Amino acid sequence: MSPAMEIKLSRASRVYRPSVEPLEGKIIVKSTSSVSHYGIRLTVNGSVSMKVRGGSAGIIESLVGAVKPITIVSKSIEVKPSGKIASGTTEIPFSMMIRQSGDDNHERFYETFHGANISIQYLLTADVMRGYLHKPLSTTMEFIVESDKAELLERPVSPEMVIFYITQDTQKHPLLPELKAGGFRVTGRIPTLCSLSDPISGELVVETSVVPIQSIDVHLLRIESILSGERIVTETSLVQSTQIADGDVCRNMTLPIYVILPRLLTCPTSLAGPFSIEFKASIVITFESQLSKTHPKSDPRTPRLWMAMETLPLELIRTR
Amino acid sequence: MMWKLRNLDMEEAYIWLQRLSSMEKDGTFCLVVVPPSGVQQVDIVEDKGEEFFDPLREPNSNVVGSLDTEDDIGHPSVVVSTEVPGQENAKREWTSFKRFLMQRFPVSKMVSISAMSDGILRSGKGYEKLSMSTDPDELDDSQKFSEEGIRSIARQEYISRLKEFKEKFADAWQSGDRVTSLKLAIKVAKLLTDTSVGQFYPTLFVLATDIMEMLGDMVWERVKQKAEYAEDGTFLCSLPASFRADDVGLDAKETCNNWFCKIGSVKELLPRIYLELALLPCWRFLVDQPIDSIQRLVMMARGVADPLACSYCRLYIARCAQKLPSVDTGSLIRCINDTKHLLMHSMSLREGSQESSKDRRKSLVSLMEPSIEYIMRHIFQDASLKLLESAVVEFGLGNTEAHGSNPSISIIVHNLIKELPVDMVNSKTIDIINLIECCNDYTLDQCLNYRLLGFRLSESKYSLHIVTVVDRVIRVVSQKDMLDEYLKVVDAYVDLIFQNHMDDHLVKILDGISKRICNKGMVGDELACLQSILVKLLSHFKNLEDIFSLNHFLEILDMMYGRSRMIVNMHILDKATRGGLICDPTTIQLLFEVSQALNDSIDQVNVRDEDLQQPARMISRFIDKVSYGADRERHLAFLVECRRAFGSTNELKETLVHSSNSLAVKALIERKNHLDFLKSCIAFSEVTISSVTALVRQLKLYLETAEVALLGGLVSHSDGLVQSAISCMQSVDLVDVSRGPTDADETLNFLQKICGFLIILPGNPEKGAVYTPKSLFALLNSQSWMTPRMRARICCAMISLSATLSQKNLPYHASKSGIPSNDILFYGNSAYFGELVSFSEEVVRKLVDAIKQEPSPVARGSMALEACNCIALSFKMSCEISAICFELLEMARRGLGAKDRYLKSTINLMDSYSTSPQLCQ
Repeated sequence: MSPAMEIKLSRASRVYRPSVEPLEGKIIVKSTSSVSHYGIRLTVNGSVSMKVRGGSAGIIESLVGAVKPITIVSKSIEVKPSGKIASGTTEIPFSMMIRQSGDDNHERFYETFHGANISIQYLLTADVMRGYLHKPLSTTMEFIVESDKAELLERPVSPEMVIFYITQDTQKHPLLPELKAGGFRVTGRIPTLCSLSDPISGELVVETSVVPIQSIDVHLLRIESILSGERIVTETSLVQSTQIADGDVCRNMTLPIYVILPRLLTCPTSLAGPFSIEFKASIVITFESQLSKTHPKSDPRTPRLWMAMETLPLELIRTR
Repeated sequence: MMWKLRNLDMEEAYIWLQRLSSMEKDGTFCLVVVPPSGVQQVDIVEDKGEEFFDPLREPNSNVVGSLDTEDDIGHPSVVVSTEVPGQENAKREWTSFKRFLMQRFPVSKMVSISAMSDGILRSGKGYEKLSMSTDPDELDDSQKFSEEGIRSIARQEYISRLKEFKEKFADAWQSGDRVTSLKLAIKVAKLLTDTSVGQFYPTLFVLATDIMEMLGDMVWERVKQKAEYAEDGTFLCSLPASFRADDVGLDAKETCNNWFCKIGSVKELLPRIYLELALLPCWRFLVDQPIDSIQRLVMMARGVADPLACSYCRLYIARCAQKLPSVDTGSLIRCINDTKHLLMHSMSLREGSQESSKDRRKSLVSLMEPSIEYIMRHIFQDASLKLLESAVVEFGLGNTEAHGSNPSISIIVHNLIKELPVDMVNSKTIDIINLIECCNDYTLDQCLNYRLLGFRLSESKYSLHIVTVVDRVIRVVSQKDMLDEYLKVVDAYVDLIFQNHMDDHLVKILDGISKRICNKGMVGDELACLQSILVKLLSHFKNLEDIFSLNHFLEILDMMYGRSRMIVNMHILDKATRGGLICDPTTIQLLFEVSQALNDSIDQVNVRDEDLQQPARMISRFIDKVSYGADRERHLAFLVECRRAFGSTNELKETLVHSSNSLAVKALIERKNHLDFLKSCIAFSEVTISSVTALVRQLKLYLETAEVALLGGLVSHSDGLVQSAISCMQSVDLVDVSRGPTDADETLNFLQKICGFLIILPGNPEKGAVYTPKSLFALLNSQSWMTPRMRARICCAMISLSATLSQKNLPYHASKSGIPSNDILFYGNSAYFGELVSFSEEVVRKLVDAIKQEPSPVARGSMALEACNCIALSFKMSCEISAICFELLEMARRGLGAKDRYLKSTINLMDSYSTSPQLCQ
């Protein structure tokens, strides 16, 4: 049996704040026989990778598909000089400061983010060099970077709420005639600034609606913009849908909006030079209609005759 | 063969048991046997002060089990999330509530489901396929559904699929695949969105929440384990039962938070709520105020518009809220109020009046009711007075102006009244009445609320506004024309009216009932209600005459029919026979009519056998209690009338014979020109007996009447009756008697008894003194069904009889009659003796034959001993007798063995008799 190797980080959550704390953990090697090697190395790689897909991108970019990634960090240390690992299970602890103070050459440590077009990822790789006769051992693991506390803003004392109204007159797209004629009014409050560790909490009231409501959903949208050549390519995509009302709910009853922000799929709103990541919350009301049944699986962002919506910007921040 | 001479008086005194006779006020005699000293008599003490303890109503606050034992550190895998005091009780209550839910709603074999439940349809193929659930797949399915509309699945299949889910869920968790577990739980939770399953929904709810509960327990245990143990398994600390969020380590918190994040990402509202409810206790790892989450979830549930799904979701909220350390009554009240709004909203939406939609609504409300009831119960359970006050105000009580602006819903008011503590019902009665008055909607018939209020008010002894309330309710109900509604309400208030002596209302009620019955007859429910009212009336009044004199009472009774009528009649008779004698002729006549109706209803109503016995017993008790005082002729006439009316029931005829016999005896005691009356009584009895169909009873009655006749000096009557009994036995159908051992035993009994009676019955001079014993003996030959044992016993009795008749003084006489008995008539008469001797010889032969016929040796042995004893006691020892005795003893020895104690003692007895030297010279 060939030896197996894995990395175990000190935190189960794998979340680290690089500027103030070291990345700690251990390399675990399991082997039935002793393994001699030429050194064990740990490498940290952090980068922003971007791709531009169809649509607004040019023909060349759509062919190439990817924009050159931005390196945030690339650092390697030797954990153990050449030697021998005994048979059985061997644990090699490590502690690695990713960012040295005064080390300003590198990019900012953006928070980990897994988007549709933009991906910010930090990988930790352990390598065991074993000469030419043996296959080198190697394993990689992703860890998650969150902004350092010191760099953070104070937690907003009162989250900024906006009051919204959704009526037949606020809609920019055409509506079913009965909707237009009968009218409806849904009001509510939702924050425009929200901490990543808190849910988006607001409220919503259906004041009137002549046509019965089928569903009310809050869609969390991300807007990823990439500087590609001289143009900025922007794409909006759906992160998460959360249903607030199922069916024709009572009028004038306050319904809570409570959306937990998904990890990895969200990060602080960032407007860097070559790319930007922003978020929006969209409240979509779907009315009961024969027509809707013929389009069972449509993109919730597409305006339809039987839908009304209100999209509001949402700035996400890291607090604490 | 010679008889022994015996001093029977001495023998009697020797075995005499102390007797005390006591005379009851109604003149019947009863025999009291004084128990031997040393036997402790048990005093039955009725302690009315002690309250009846009902374990089911035990308040929830009693903590069962110590909490420390639950924290079993050694076995973290044992899933017990009993951390909050009172959990065990709550859990038990929930279990029984679930059972009730599943049983309450009958489900047809097929369950209709809509596109939302497609999870259940595909589940059979294993979860690999489920978890794939690629887009085109789902698209296909939902299209299929929209084309076909609603599908159906067999109920049993649905249930077994859910069970399959549960197993897979547990398996996945065990194997560490928590993602799959969660996915399965989400799938199950999604099934709850489909309310097209209708009556199956409660069952679905129970099964699905079982899985939710499992998930909750497992996550709880996992997080707790993370808090108590380090990653490498070393023990960190033990969480106390009332731990705070600060006691929990970061790692555990992280895991817990992760679970909430995963659940938060479920798109659909209802499943998300259910899953968070399942994990609700886990909030304690993160925050110290998990109640905030309950409040939010209650608000979130408002987003579910389907009334059925929403009310069950609230039911689950109420259940899960109990798992938290502190109770949040406010949230529960909000649940109820939200349900109220929901019902009002749906009422405003569909004001259709078609029958089908009405039915659908009714069934929807009945499906929703358990949830309302459960939540209501938990609002008022163990709530403090302050909380109660605020709760009732929330429900529109205690704030009289608010009624117009804050109307309620019938079904909610109903459950409110049902669950309110009694004191509260009393102090808020006026408000409750106001509340009832202003809700009259389809969810529940208004009169049921009035009815419930009545019952609740009767629970307490004293109420402040009772007079006002009853006045008001009676006023309201008198405007209702429907008999059904009227009766339902009135039924609940009858007791209150009695307790508070509001007799004028009683008059009004009876008037109202009779008016409404006249308009339109009665059917099932109404009859049952009326029955309950009349029974209450009967139990209230002391005097039956007072009830009969009530306006309309008899008229209403007359309008009733069937089973209810029967029950009311039985109550009337019960009431009548509970007191002393019934002397008033009018009452007797009325009760006679009641009995007649009851007797007739036995034939009409399809009743079981044991039901049939009850009315007959009632009627015979009534006949027993009737008294015309000295006017015995009238009494006998009454009995004749009874025979005409109740001739079809054996048991009653028996009573009639007893009654007429006792009349005869009473007349005898008074000794006033009684002979003619006595004769008519005996004649009545004789005629009545002949129509009794049960043989054994008939025989006993003959004997009884014969005794009475002899007592009255009517020797020939008596003789005739005995002869009738014997001929009656002769004509017996074998099959009829050999039916069971009891009948055979009873017949044997009777024959032995008649032997005893023949001692005092003077011999018939025309047919010969031993004529009657002989005809009795003749029976043995003609009745082939008799067992050898029976024959032997009868023979023994006859031997004893003839031995007794041979004595100079008979042991007892028919004392009062003054007629000479056999000892006076025949003693010393050699012809008489000759007859007796030849009779005895015949009997002894028969006896020995009978014993020989017994197939079982053991039985034969004991029979032989019995016979031997009897013969040895009766006859002087002679060669002839001792030969027979030795033969019998030999038979016994062979059957029982030489060591048998009975055999030994019999031999001893024989020895003592045989010491007389003149034997067998």
